Amino acid sequence: MTWINMLSPLQWALLLAIPPAILSLYFLKLKRQQAVVPSTMLWKRAIEDLHVNSIWQKLRKNLLLYLQLLFVGLLILACLRPGWSGMNRVGERRIYIIDHSASMQATDNNPSRLDVAKDKALKLIKDAASNDSAMVIATSDRASVEQGFTNNRSLLENAVKRIEPTSQLTDVSEAFRVAAGLANPGRVSFEDNVDIQTAEAVPATVYFLSDGAVGELNEAEFGQLKIEYVPIGDAETQNAGILSFAIQRPESDSALAKTGAISAFARLIQHGSDPVECTASLYLDDTFIDAKKVKLLAGEETGIQFDLEGIESGGLKLQLDHSDALPLDNVAYAAIRPDRQVSILVITPGNNALETALGTQRVMQLANIQIEPLSHLATQEYQTNSSQAKYDLIIYDSCSPDKMPSASTLFIGGLPPADIQPKEPEQPAGEPTTGDPVASQPQTGATATTSQPNAQSAKPEQDQWAFGNPTGPVIVLDVNRSHPISQYLEMSAVGIVESRSVKPPASGSVLMIADIGPIFAVAPRGPFQDAVLGFDIVRPTQDGLEINSDWGIKRSFPVFVFAAVEQLAGGVTEASAPTVQPGMPIQLMLSNRFKSYQIIDPSGKTQTIDRGPDGRFLYTRTDQLGVYEVRAEGLEEPVERFCVNLFSNRESNLKVGLELKTGSESIAATSNTIRARQETWRWLLLLALGLLMLEWIVFNRRIFI
Amino acid sequence: MASNPPVSTSQALLSPEMMAKLERMELVSRKIFRGRMKGERRSKRKGQSVEFADFRNYVAGDDLRFIDWNLFARLDRLYLKIFLEEEDLHVYTLVDDSLSMDFGTPTKFLTAKRIAAALGYIGLCRGDRVSVSTFSKAASPMVVRGRSSSYRLLGQLQDATCQNPTPSMEESVRRFCLKNTGKGIVILITDLMNKTGYETALKMLVAREMDIYLIHILSPEELQPKLTGDLKLTDCEDDDMREVSISASLLQRYRLTLDAFIESARSFCNRRSIAYVSVRSDQEIDPLLNEYLRSRGLVR
Repeated sequence: MTWINMLSPLQWALLLAIPPAILSLYFLKLKRQQAVVPSTMLWKRAIEDLHVNSIWQKLRKNLLLYLQLLFVGLLILACLRPGWSGMNRVGERRIYIIDHSASMQATDNNPSRLDVAKDKALKLIKDAASNDSAMVIATSDRASVEQGFTNNRSLLENAVKRIEPTSQLTDVSEAFRVAAGLANPGRVSFEDNVDIQTAEAVPATVYFLSDGAVGELNEAEFGQLKIEYVPIGDAETQNAGILSFAIQRPESDSALAKTGAISAFARLIQHGSDPVECTASLYLDDTFIDAKKVKLLAGEETGIQFDLEGIESGGLKLQLDHSDALPLDNVAYAAIRPDRQVSILVITPGNNALETALGTQRVMQLANIQIEPLSHLATQEYQTNSSQAKYDLIIYDSCSPDKMPSASTLFIGGLPPADIQPKEPEQPAGEPTTGDPVASQPQTGATATTSQPNAQSAKPEQDQWAFGNPTGPVIVLDVNRSHPISQYLEMSAVGIVESRSVKPPASGSVLMIADIGPIFAVAPRGPFQDAVLGFDIVRPTQDGLEINSDWGIKRSFPVFVFAAVEQLAGGVTEASAPTVQPGMPIQLMLSNRFKSYQIIDPSGKTQTIDRGPDGRFLYTRTDQLGVYEVRAEGLEEPVERFCVNLFSNRESNLKVGLELKTGSESIAATSNTIRARQETWRWLLLLALGLLMLEWIVFNRRIFI
Repeated sequence: MASNPPVSTSQALLSPEMMAKLERMELVSRKIFRGRMKGERRSKRKGQSVEFADFRNYVAGDDLRFIDWNLFARLDRLYLKIFLEEEDLHVYTLVDDSLSMDFGTPTKFLTAKRIAAALGYIGLCRGDRVSVSTFSKAASPMVVRGRSSSYRLLGQLQDATCQNPTPSMEESVRRFCLKNTGKGIVILITDLMNKTGYETALKMLVAREMDIYLIHILSPEELQPKLTGDLKLTDCEDDDMREVSISASLLQRYRLTLDAFIESARSFCNRRSIAYVSVRSDQEIDPLLNEYLRSRGLVR
């Protein structure tokens, strides 16, 4: 057992000073009555032997003094609230889970639901027994342990006070999992496959302070937790909110489309028993542009639409001019994406299927396409533009450049030059030399592949592309459904005469696997991405072009081309900027031309995001509601916008749930007055000290023993 | 010399009934002393009493009246008959008059005076030479003889009060010894509460070959103190102070100390043939003399 020290050294010193103080009172304050005796001779002799122990002579056998000292000693012990962290008895474990999601910002409780929850949590902490240990978890759509298990009240109180309101949604399952996991340590396994529980599972009481907008809980996650649900807020709080807000370009053949107008839609809801009539105001970059009166019926959704003309770019804000408990959901944001077209250079010997796929309306919206013959590779214009990153994507159809350009690339049938393809794959035995990749290279620029066979031989093999020899026929076995380029491709009916196997470096991804191995792969190259397709659609021969695959006439080919253009070039087609809920990550489709981008959040702060290891841009700090702008260095206009909106029916519904649903059962709300241990020992202690003082006074004034 | 003895005060010390009883008593001396005057006590000297003592050979010049003629007739030799002499007895009474004697109910000093008066009266009635003095007046005792002087004796004692300061017991006895060279009975009435000790004083008296009676008088307050609480005890004689917190154990220790003190005094006296008599100040004088002192051999 281990002694739990409850006091600081100073407090210890003060406590230990009390007994000597009592002794000194005996020495100093003893008021003696004077008595005249015939002679002190006999008294002197009687007390003579007591004088032997000189320092204690005055204490004598004073039973009252010893009783007093004992009394004070016990009082001090009581003050220390002694306890042992033994195995036999431990205090209750408490877990305070405080909901700080968006709905907790409601002001139906003054000043807000979160403040009331924090106050209640502080009161619970104060009222807990001294040997109770507790932890504090703040939960929204994620759980954060503000304070691990401790019986130090000040730490717990500080943790509760630290909790700030958020605009995030509610998902308490993680909080309950964390609580159950920390309250009941798991098991460890040893080599002989025997599970041993690391510690005795102790039932813990979870005080869940929330407004109940948490959805259904999974009872299995509770473990040994005993849930005490403390509802926060008024049961019948009314609230109007915006459930969605989006803009859309009309269909291309509609009359509106010709005027360049866009439509903005919103879905509104009124939670509560009373209908609300209010104005919905629309702002473009904080400038009022339109308003509509809406009547929101109780419990029903209402839609409104704005037709906007002459707006090309900017952030829209829709605001309900209505005062209710939760202002957070009275505002919604949408943004019109900047007009951003990517530049694509296609170098092809002549590929109708590819040109047709690039000529679709969606690709045309997305990209500015320049199609050049193979001879373009040798021109000065190509050399300059490719090295100055003028293009977002260069498609090499049945050809290869001398060196890799400063752009993302898509090789169809061709092989990347030696600076990323340094090593010849081993010749399979019995293969004709015509199968040599060099021989199959088109005439332009093909020399580079053989000119430096050992230039980068020092690179580890897993960091290199590796290509096999053309073999055929090839049957596609599978495509990578998780990658955006290949996720919608249907290749089962595609016939391929001949193909190479394509093995990407370790950082790359295989997108298509055939019977000869991977035949389509993508891999990052600095800020760019290179995709290599192992087979031609058409290949040039001495007799002209020859069809190598019938993929070009399949439906999946334009899908492939569009996806490749969108993903490799970072093109954007939607007018409406993407929107996410607070706290959720957003993946941005950005041009690969820039290594990093600046994101300006609604408060005006700028953060820089870098390309992730997979070449994508992921932004996670979506805590504020509003329009975020993405800017690239050197460009005046933002390259992308996105919005963060609450858009949650559950958060907008401020009716306080009086029970938590857990599958088949439900947890009722704990009564408003939570029964807690009220410490009265301090008053008893003061009373005892007062009695001690009284006893001491009487003792020193007493007449009789 | 007081010509008008204070009757009332003498009655305060000794009642007439008491005096009547005392007249029938006499002081007992365990030794035979030579008196100064003819008295009722047998003397060491051979004299003219009727009590035969011895024979001796006749030498020329002896009084022929004391020759035993019967013996001369039988033995044809002259022998002289010797008779015992009867003389008076010196009774010295020394009363401690230090302030410590002024304690008790009644005070130890009053009881001491009564005892001194009673014993002195007995002596006067028996024709003894009675000397009474206090410690402070040990060098100038009042010496009286004969029953007629009893009023003087009683008056002197009645007037005596406790003195402060008083010479120590040792000093008083030294003065007494220097003044009174004769032998006789010394009755020392004291509480022995003397911080310099009583041994030297008693030894001086023993050295004078006197018949010593020590009447050790203690008050009930000393024998069973009724003190409680935290006290600052002050010695009435020298203002010495002792801080004590009275507890049962301390009282027990005090009684043990007192018993040891009494026992050591008794033992000291016994070893030196001093008759030790312990007296409580609240004892009645009549039973004290008739029973207690009689049983102790001081009177008969």
